Amino acid sequence: MIPVTLRANFSYLIRHPLQLALALLGIGIGVAVIVAVDLANASARKAFLMSMDAVTGEATHQVIGGPRGLDESAYVRLRVKKGIRNVAPIVEGTVIVSGVSFTVMGVDLFAEREMRAFTGQASTAGGDDAPGETLFREFLTRPGAVTMSQATAAEFGLRIGQDFELIANGRSQRASLVGTFGEDDDAGLQKLLVTDIATAQLWLGSIGRLTRIDARIPDGDDAALARLEAALPDGLRILSAAGRTRATVEMSAAFMTNLAAMSLLALLVGLFLIYNSVSFSVLQRRALIGNLRALGVTRARMLSLILVEAAVIGSLASILGVAAGILLGERLLALVSQSINDLYFRLNVTDVMVSPFSVVKGLAAGIGASLAAAAVPAIEAMSFPPRLAMTRSSLEGRTGRLLPRIALSGVVTMLAAVALLLLSGRNLVAGLVAVFLLIFGFALCVPLVVKAASTLVAPFAARIGGMLARMAVSGIGESLSRTGVAIVALAVAVSATIGVSVMVGSFRGSVDEWLGQTLQADIYAGVQRGSLDPALLDQIATLDGVEAFSTSRRVQLEDADGRTQLIAIRMAPGGYAGTEIIDADPDTVWPLWEREDVVLVSEPYAYQHDVSRGDVVMLPTDRGQRAFEIAATYQSYDINASAMLMSRSIYDRHFDDAEVDSVGLYLADDVDPETVMARIGEMSGGTQEIRFNSNARIRELSLEIFDRTFIITDVLYWLAVGVAFIGILGAMLALQLERGRELAVLRALGMTPAQLGGLITTQTAVIGLFSGIAAVPLGVMMAYVLIEVINRRAFGWQIDMAVAPDVLLSAIAFAIGAAMLAGVYPAYRAARSQPAAAMREE
Amino acid sequence: MNTPTEIELRHLGKSFTEGQRRHRVLDDVSADFLRGETIAVRGRSGSGKSTLLNLIGGIDTPDAGRIIVAGVDLTGLTERDRTLFRREHIGFVYQAFNLVPTLSVADNIRLVLELNRVPAREGQQRIEELLDAVGLADRADSYPDVLSGGEQQRVAIARALCHEPAVVIADEPTGNLDDSTAELVLRLLDTLVRERGGTMLIATHSARVASVCDREIEIHGGRLVAKASS
Repeated sequence: MIPVTLRANFSYLIRHPLQLALALLGIGIGVAVIVAVDLANASARKAFLMSMDAVTGEATHQVIGGPRGLDESAYVRLRVKKGIRNVAPIVEGTVIVSGVSFTVMGVDLFAEREMRAFTGQASTAGGDDAPGETLFREFLTRPGAVTMSQATAAEFGLRIGQDFELIANGRSQRASLVGTFGEDDDAGLQKLLVTDIATAQLWLGSIGRLTRIDARIPDGDDAALARLEAALPDGLRILSAAGRTRATVEMSAAFMTNLAAMSLLALLVGLFLIYNSVSFSVLQRRALIGNLRALGVTRARMLSLILVEAAVIGSLASILGVAAGILLGERLLALVSQSINDLYFRLNVTDVMVSPFSVVKGLAAGIGASLAAAAVPAIEAMSFPPRLAMTRSSLEGRTGRLLPRIALSGVVTMLAAVALLLLSGRNLVAGLVAVFLLIFGFALCVPLVVKAASTLVAPFAARIGGMLARMAVSGIGESLSRTGVAIVALAVAVSATIGVSVMVGSFRGSVDEWLGQTLQADIYAGVQRGSLDPALLDQIATLDGVEAFSTSRRVQLEDADGRTQLIAIRMAPGGYAGTEIIDADPDTVWPLWEREDVVLVSEPYAYQHDVSRGDVVMLPTDRGQRAFEIAATYQSYDINASAMLMSRSIYDRHFDDAEVDSVGLYLADDVDPETVMARIGEMSGGTQEIRFNSNARIRELSLEIFDRTFIITDVLYWLAVGVAFIGILGAMLALQLERGRELAVLRALGMTPAQLGGLITTQTAVIGLFSGIAAVPLGVMMAYVLIEVINRRAFGWQIDMAVAPDVLLSAIAFAIGAAMLAGVYPAYRAARSQPAAAMREE
Repeated sequence: MNTPTEIELRHLGKSFTEGQRRHRVLDDVSADFLRGETIAVRGRSGSGKSTLLNLIGGIDTPDAGRIIVAGVDLTGLTERDRTLFRREHIGFVYQAFNLVPTLSVADNIRLVLELNRVPAREGQQRIEELLDAVGLADRADSYPDVLSGGEQQRVAIARALCHEPAVVIADEPTGNLDDSTAELVLRLLDTLVRERGGTMLIATHSARVASVCDREIEIHGGRLVAKASS
């Protein structure tokens, strides 16, 4: 049987179902946000790793070459001349099917057997043939024969034997689905086309070339590895497959870290909410606690009763929160994968992978925070003699006395944050920890500031709005034990909106300005996921009205140290101004750059690699490792932070790669860009599908991607605001419940329902105002740290901070609006209550 | 000249629902109370004393019957009009004092004056006079939580009288006080109400309280039982 003392506690909650519901909702939402972000992040990462693992198969190492891959003769040399088995050639690239990017993987089925199961074991229409035999025949005899996963075929409505069109390197090609693989589970193999190596070479315009050679070397067989290394022709390198996967994942590491930081912010606000919800339910039972203590219930027993209750409520709400978090996680995952696709690498992920770790983390946060939130006020209530535990003034008196100490610890915490920022060098995680210390420290100071503000403002309020206004304002300071946490939660949530808005706004401004400067040409033309046909390039460059042109080739250079993005540029005469040199005289740098073995490195590259002008970087060229001096640093907001610029003539000297990704056309003054673009369209028809855009359109597209990247940030901070909103609603309801008799007396004294509603609405508006004002300095501080520390450490970008006054004003207005909205129902309830009934209930 | 009737109760009925049961608290109660009269309302706990006072004070409505206070039929008023009536004509003193904890002593009184739109200067004068009368002139700026029970009740009396109401409703005004403090508060309340010519109903268990009243009524089984005038 449940002990009476426990029932006495629980029956309180059951008799106040709205409070109980809000507590459950508060904890549930907090947990849901934590779980959702965690799952979205983990699922994106896991999906990518699964896809890499699936495609890599049994390969342990990969032989790679320069930007254009390696000559296929290298494979013949290894396999035939050197007799090395367990190697398989791969041609890989991206093609477009029905407007969707697919990875195409050209394989040699004979070599695949020991490397990957799925490539050779597709279900075909081959009837009684031995497994794989039909596939071999189809690959060798049927033009454009491909296989894909069963799920992908179903998604695109393709059947075995059906032909379909794809675009590879800007050219339309005919493919034929000859088989499908992955009957039950195609994890990691979505949107992957497998074809014969020759077909892939034809489609991707790389006849005679391979992307890489996969090798399977038994673990610890150093001799086999050494034999393979010795057999490699000059200019080729062997890298571990796991290392390459890691390097790719690392490209998005900063993005993921920042996302995790946003989730921590949601967690922090979520914890406030949980604390708020649970601590109220304890605070409201001071009288009950006092009575039970007076009747002889020991402190330890009372505390354990409260903690058991908190654990039960916390567990129930956390389970609901985890379920909601999984649903929310699917929505967030779509946003996360969109950004990763926009910015880093192709990622196919639609379903949230629920990891036990994320679930446990959510449950631990929900239950742990509930216990902590219940324990603090419970221990406080226990520390009073039983009689005192019943009075509210004793609690407020105690809270009031504690405020200076709490604020002092807040100041100390903020100082610790500043010290950590100054001492942590370039460590991103330390930077994030400092941000949270800063927020937490500031939050601890807010109640004292609010107390002081309400005391200072109350007389002015009385002068303007009379006694009711005075009551509304001074009531806030007098009930901080209940309203304090809600005010802090709203302030933190609003400061996050300010911090992120200012950061994103400043960032967008800087990017826009940079794009304006960088995009010097009038028209840019290129091929989606491919390179320009050389003959077409000549025709475009010599079109009537084109005064000059620039070309660009973006390649990834890879060695054991990681990846470097190299952009080889043939500058147009007027194009140099598009690149802002930061640390040298452009007039001396540019001639040097055109002539010598030097590179320009982007500002993020210089920051992340800790290099500067005059340093030397080693690059894996087609002639082997070569040293290039850094001639200067240039400003860039390119997402691929590890970027460097090389003159096209120098690039041609070191790399056997004549390809061009895009061309920038500089038109004569009187030439209409639309006319030239129409002309390019006509010329490219039938040859290669060219994408061309005006300068303005490229700028628009870039900013669209920029904005899309920050949608998830928006979603997260709206969640934080939602959480804070519920906190205020809960706080106000709790306060009305607690002040039922006081409000009834006011009604008895002659206050009309409208006046009472007005009193509560005014109070919530002032709570919103105080929260909003408190949020401004914290928000600006957050923006500063996000810009100067977090973005700098994560991406190396240097952003000019711009604080728009309207962002601050709208944040304050928003805080007032949110608080007032949260106050509507409590005000309505209080106004509707019958004074006689309220007095009787008391 | 006859003293006019200040409060008329006619066939009042009031019930409350407790769970599935309906509990009849007042049953066909009729009475007249004269202007300037002080009446002790006695009865057991739960007999309906507070309910009767709440009905007369206009903070609750009867299920049946009529209540006329200061010439106004409360049963015909809307919620808002009852509030406005209460604001102007009724003063309340409760057992639990019920001062607004976030307002100072003076502001607790000022709140009622403001609600009645008494000009600030005049209001200040009344506050000073009343606090002087209840012996708390030096505590105007104190907050309720630092006052003793007796002091709080004296503030409540000042608040109840500051707008010179026609009727004062006192629900167990000395119930939370020790004997000597209760005597002081009782005398103060009686004197101040009589000085102002108000009508007062006091719900009480105390024979001592009843003894200072002009007459005594008792509620028993939901009905009014008249007792002898003192």
